[in-house]
Amino acid sequence: MKGYLLEISQALIALVLAPGLVGFVRWWKARLQGRRGAAPWLVYYDLRKLFAKEVVISKNTSWIFRFTPYLVFSSTLAVTLLIPLVAAPLPFDRIGDLLLVVYLLLLGTFFLALAGLDPGTAFGGMGASREMTIAAIAEPTIALSIFGLAVGAGSTNLGRIVAETLAHPSAAISPGHLLGFAALFTVMLAETGRLPVDNPSTHLELTMIHEAMVLEYSGRYLALIEWAAAVRLLIFFSLLANMFAPWGVAATLTPVAVGIAAVALVAKLAALGLVVAFLETRLAKLRLFRVPELLAVSFVLALLAVTSSFLLR
Amino acid sequence: MLSLFLVMISAYVLGALAALLSGRSALARALVAAAAAVGSGAGLALGALVIASGVPLTFTSSRLLPITGVALRLDGLGGFFLVVVGLVGCAAAIYAFGYSAQYAGRYSLRLMGAMFNLLLLALSLQVMADNALTFLILWEAMSLTAYCLVLTEHDRSGTVRAGVWYLAMTHAGFAALIAMFLLLSGADLTSSFASMRAGAALLSPASRNAVFLLALFGFGAKAGIIPLHVWLPMAHPVAPSHVSAILSGVVIKMGIYGLVRVLLDLMGGGPAWWGGVVLGAGAISALLGVLYALMEHDLKRLLAYHSVENIGIILIGVGAGLIFHSYGLMTLAALGLISGLYHTINHATFKGLLFLGAGSVLHATGTRNMEEMGGLIKRMPWTSLFFLIGSAAISALPPLNGFASEWLVFQSLLGGSNIPTPEVAVVMPLAVGMLALTSGLAAACFVKAFGITFLAIPRSSEAEQAHESPPSMIAGMAILAFACVALGLAPFVVVPALGRVLTGLGGLPDTHAAFTLNLSLVTPNNFASMSPTLVALGLLVLLGLVPLVMLVFRVNRRLRVSDSWGCGRLGQTPRMEYTATAFAEPLRRVFAELYRPTKELSIDFHPDSKYFVQSIEYRSEITPWFEKAFYGPLLRFIRRLAELTRRLQSGSVHIYLFYISFALLILLLIARWS
Amino acid sequence: MSTNLFAQLSALASSLTLLAGIALLWRRSLDAYIQAFKWQSVVLSGMFVLVGYAGGDRQLYAMAGFFFVLKVVVIPHYLRRLEEQVGAERESHPYINIATSLIISGLLVLLAYVITRPLVAVSRLPTRGSLPLAMGLIFVGLFVVVTRRKALTQVVGFLVLENGIALLAMLGTYGIPLIIELGVFLDVLMGFLAMQVFVYHIHGTFESMDVEQLNRLKH
Repeated sequence: MKGYLLEISQALIALVLAPGLVGFVRWWKARLQGRRGAAPWLVYYDLRKLFAKEVVISKNTSWIFRFTPYLVFSSTLAVTLLIPLVAAPLPFDRIGDLLLVVYLLLLGTFFLALAGLDPGTAFGGMGASREMTIAAIAEPTIALSIFGLAVGAGSTNLGRIVAETLAHPSAAISPGHLLGFAALFTVMLAETGRLPVDNPSTHLELTMIHEAMVLEYSGRYLALIEWAAAVRLLIFFSLLANMFAPWGVAATLTPVAVGIAAVALVAKLAALGLVVAFLETRLAKLRLFRVPELLAVSFVLALLAVTSSFLLR
Repeated sequence: MLSLFLVMISAYVLGALAALLSGRSALARALVAAAAAVGSGAGLALGALVIASGVPLTFTSSRLLPITGVALRLDGLGGFFLVVVGLVGCAAAIYAFGYSAQYAGRYSLRLMGAMFNLLLLALSLQVMADNALTFLILWEAMSLTAYCLVLTEHDRSGTVRAGVWYLAMTHAGFAALIAMFLLLSGADLTSSFASMRAGAALLSPASRNAVFLLALFGFGAKAGIIPLHVWLPMAHPVAPSHVSAILSGVVIKMGIYGLVRVLLDLMGGGPAWWGGVVLGAGAISALLGVLYALMEHDLKRLLAYHSVENIGIILIGVGAGLIFHSYGLMTLAALGLISGLYHTINHATFKGLLFLGAGSVLHATGTRNMEEMGGLIKRMPWTSLFFLIGSAAISALPPLNGFASEWLVFQSLLGGSNIPTPEVAVVMPLAVGMLALTSGLAAACFVKAFGITFLAIPRSSEAEQAHESPPSMIAGMAILAFACVALGLAPFVVVPALGRVLTGLGGLPDTHAAFTLNLSLVTPNNFASMSPTLVALGLLVLLGLVPLVMLVFRVNRRLRVSDSWGCGRLGQTPRMEYTATAFAEPLRRVFAELYRPTKELSIDFHPDSKYFVQSIEYRSEITPWFEKAFYGPLLRFIRRLAELTRRLQSGSVHIYLFYISFALLILLLIARWS
Repeated sequence: MSTNLFAQLSALASSLTLLAGIALLWRRSLDAYIQAFKWQSVVLSGMFVLVGYAGGDRQLYAMAGFFFVLKVVVIPHYLRRLEEQVGAERESHPYINIATSLIISGLLVLLAYVITRPLVAVSRLPTRGSLPLAMGLIFVGLFVVVTRRKALTQVVGFLVLENGIALLAMLGTYGIPLIIELGVFLDVLMGFLAMQVFVYHIHGTFESMDVEQLNRLKH
């Protein structure tokens, strides 16, 4: 019973923290660029404003356009129920493993791309095409990283992976782990639309990837999609943090342990957010056709991670 | 069970007769379709019954065919494939009732109806064949009936060529199969599978390897492994859509059936390199299949290339299973083979569904070219819904069936850490990477296929005037869509059934309880677990909860319909939309070294000045290089050989008479001295 | 220092050197190549120190010093000077494109694992787990030399190859005797200076660093 309550509150925590995380990254980026930056909690006000606005949709769209925001939001929220944010293992752990998480996120991307094509604009098509290209090319790296983690932990279930790393702390600095982290970090940048792959704050349509797909959305639809994108960022950060550096994650469901875990989670998210903000300031956006090269590098990193943990046991 | 068997056969035969006798009226079409549907339904029930009860059905008759008679035995494996045949056959038959109406008066409905029923009959009996000769005869019958059906629209360009390629490749495979059975049965083709099974262990390793290679070639030509796949993208698009569904959904699966039957059942498994070759062939087919599918804008050719891809995925699972089998890791072997078989039935359902959907689109717009479609979702709501379900299924999106079987294939590859030899084990991560890339590219391809065809604004007048399909066609699609959803939500029913199917083959233990737990799929040693049912439930709950919460918080519910955001332009025409080619352009550039597209650009300048352009013509083509690299030299060699032998045909009657008498003389001499 | 920690650290260091080698296949500019080579040599010098400490061999400290001076200070300096003299050209169209090269490099590392399996099985040293990575670095260095067009890239590739050999020797046998190592260093320095002259003349004759241009000498 406690486990189920914790699961649900975990999802709510994710929902509540996610926009703050996006705001935090934006704020730090501004500070690093010498600006004062919008306050981190401005994102919440943005969401509230969007929910209060009227939706305007194109007359060329179909039911898919109206359905997609709900599907994307629900599938992303479903993922938060499956990943270990503050405690592992949780009761829903047996419902899905890391592969399911990846494919649920792909479900959201699939429908978002369809919704990009629906209004019949060139920008939407362009965004959809680029997004699916990058998603497809990032898949092998994700799969190989999962392979590497699973072989080390003896399972693809997330709770078990976390427990395994907690039990063997020296494995955390093994090359396999570090290379896997580097590979997944690169993929995270691609999948969440961060520099150097995609600039989330660009206003130039021809340089957009994710933003171009959602160009036609407004009002509550846009709010749902933006919120889902923020939750997606939180999901990737949490996966990186809790699978590769799981210290702080509660193994028992006592209030003290969960409290520590929540604080640890916020600290790890903030740390990763700082790193991403720093990278976004330091790196320029890659040309679109240089992105496959970056993803190929991450693939090689993942392959090296797998071979070093797989072939040297 | 015997009664179901007889019902099935008689339904098909009656259907064939009805087609030949009555012909083109709506009643005739209804009779033919009903007969095929009843037959397939009976087959489905029969197969399910055999799997559930575990008792095989035997039927022998020494009088039906000369020399050998017919020996049929339906065991679990055959039953499973019979279920596949029945499911797709039933849906296609119902669909055919509405679809074949457009052929009345133009092409022969008699032949089509008769061949359709006979094809289904041959397929159903194929999986029951219990001796080599029966198997081969039914195989040939299947190929020939399929050939007749492929040639239905014989006056269209490309159909005859497709038919020739199909016939040539299927007979090349057939020759390999004859050689293989000769080796297996010790030159006695009437020996039953049971005696072949017993005798296989006594064959020399060289013979066993030869059997493996011949089986791979013969069954691979039917299944469509690269590089033997070339007939697939030619034949599947030109056939009528319900036939394409059967071809893609069932006929190529007979290659898988043959491989599992011969390699696992008759031969009892083999050394690790057999599994490795199958796995490698599967991985390459999967990747290359999807890469070429991405570049297609003919809807049915795209689906045909995806069949190559999915056969590759099936073979990845089967290959992994065979590798584990050779190391004695029986539970993992069962996992690999179960994942391959599960993907077989899943692919049959969603590919059948997609082809039926493509048929609907073809029926409504008269074209297969995606670049002329668009906006069909508003005019064909049911077709688009079912096509969407098929697209989501083939892209392996949870909680549909494609995800369940791909998840199992991944899990069987992940078991590779248990393989003792690292050189073999290293193949598994590579296969994982290739499978993941394939899966991602397939999703991209189906965003393109569904999005360009059904969404946005119609790109031609035919698309503007498209109409929804008649109810029979919708019913056919609905059956398969329902099957996709059911197979995806209930893997904990399918997987134990498959475990039971595989019991005893090649020494596999009964694993029907090993892989499921309550409502979840669980892999051996609790390596991983997944429950699509609960995922679907969760998604539905959330989908309902989110609007409810928004309602409670009194979110603004107003909605206004207006133009697409124009960035300053006035009006929107179909020319401004993204095209299929444009959608696939980034991937075309990324994989340009593989595709090697040719480019022709001709620009007409105004005679007075080079700064004014009158017209630009751009032409770019991607030809799969197998056709140039493998088949080009092969065809040239055959042509040269044929020209050499043509010299024997001098035209002179005296020379021919001389040939005959010379041959007679040689025969007599041989008879004298042997 | 515990054996396990030593093994982990050596594996970590070897992975970093391999990654620096792979960076040669990813980046296009000569500056990036020189940086990658420099950092690779820094890590390798550190490895010399580590192996010297764990193996208790004082000579390796001296070797680390030589290595550092030669490969982190002297050679990059000369490379930069050469770059200023002939003008750096970017590696924009290698014979095998970048994404494919990266995937091939991954496969080469897998091949290295397969090939060095007998070595790893026989060796008793704690560093044996990193032998495949050194072998992989050698393969990657060879691959760079074979598939890149510009002469300067090939020079850096050759230097990386040499680093790989040094790493392999160190992991496999805790370093080779000082005299031999010094001889090898001298060889490398001489070879490098010769290549410098060579590159300078290629540029002078053809106004380009593209080694394919040497074909024109045929006529």
